[in-house]
Amino acid sequence: MPLYICNAAKGAIKDDAKPKIAADITRIHCDVTGAPPEFVHAFFVEDAPNQPLGEKTAFLFGSIRSGRNDEQKAQIVSQMRQSVETHAGIAIDQIDMVTVDVPASWVLEGGAIMPEPGEEAEWMAKHHPVHAE
Amino acid sequence: MIPCNCVVQDAQVSAASEAVLRQNLNAFTEKHFGEPAEISWLRVPEGSGFTASSPSTSAIVSMRANAPVSKADREPLLRELCAMWMAETNQTLNEVVGVISDPLPTEES
Repeated sequence: MPLYICNAAKGAIKDDAKPKIAADITRIHCDVTGAPPEFVHAFFVEDAPNQPLGEKTAFLFGSIRSGRNDEQKAQIVSQMRQSVETHAGIAIDQIDMVTVDVPASWVLEGGAIMPEPGEEAEWMAKHHPVHAE
Repeated sequence: MIPCNCVVQDAQVSAASEAVLRQNLNAFTEKHFGEPAEISWLRVPEGSGFTASSPSTSAIVSMRANAPVSKADREPLLRELCAMWMAETNQTLNEVVGVISDPLPTEES
């Protein structure tokens, strides 16, 4: 967590654009929130029925930990939509995005309940395989 | 019905394992919430999943309980859920994300 799922019309996001967008998603989330990159999942699917596109070409759905303010969420939405536009060549008005807040205490990741925002460093030192001894 | 969303990397979970996981998820929700699971299954094509900007091996399994879950109860449930998933997929704890949400707030008239 966070989990970002990008649903797009078939063929709208080429395979070579996906790692670039995923790198942007990871960087943007970490820059805006201070979360470590190890937490960030970015998945791409096409015409997924449970992520309806409506009239749009791409829909980015972000599940993020509760505690981010409105300004942070606006930055995430604006910058991630821009990344999809840049790398996939989809017009910005054809890219929709929403985020939903999920309390950290509802999520088990890496074998431990997720830390609250701001408590990541201690959690990483204790639980993450790269950092934990 | 207990809404349950599974997001998996396509190459990691076979059709046979998916069938077992669906049965096990249903048993899990029946056991703990007294209702069957309404499962939405999303496969991420190979090369389309990334964790920390690298190719992902992560699976996300999330469900929404039909009553608020206390903090003391939630962690054991999450551990059981993830253990069930790992037993079938051979994924590690670092590859499985479990989420158990409380019910959505009801609209007040």
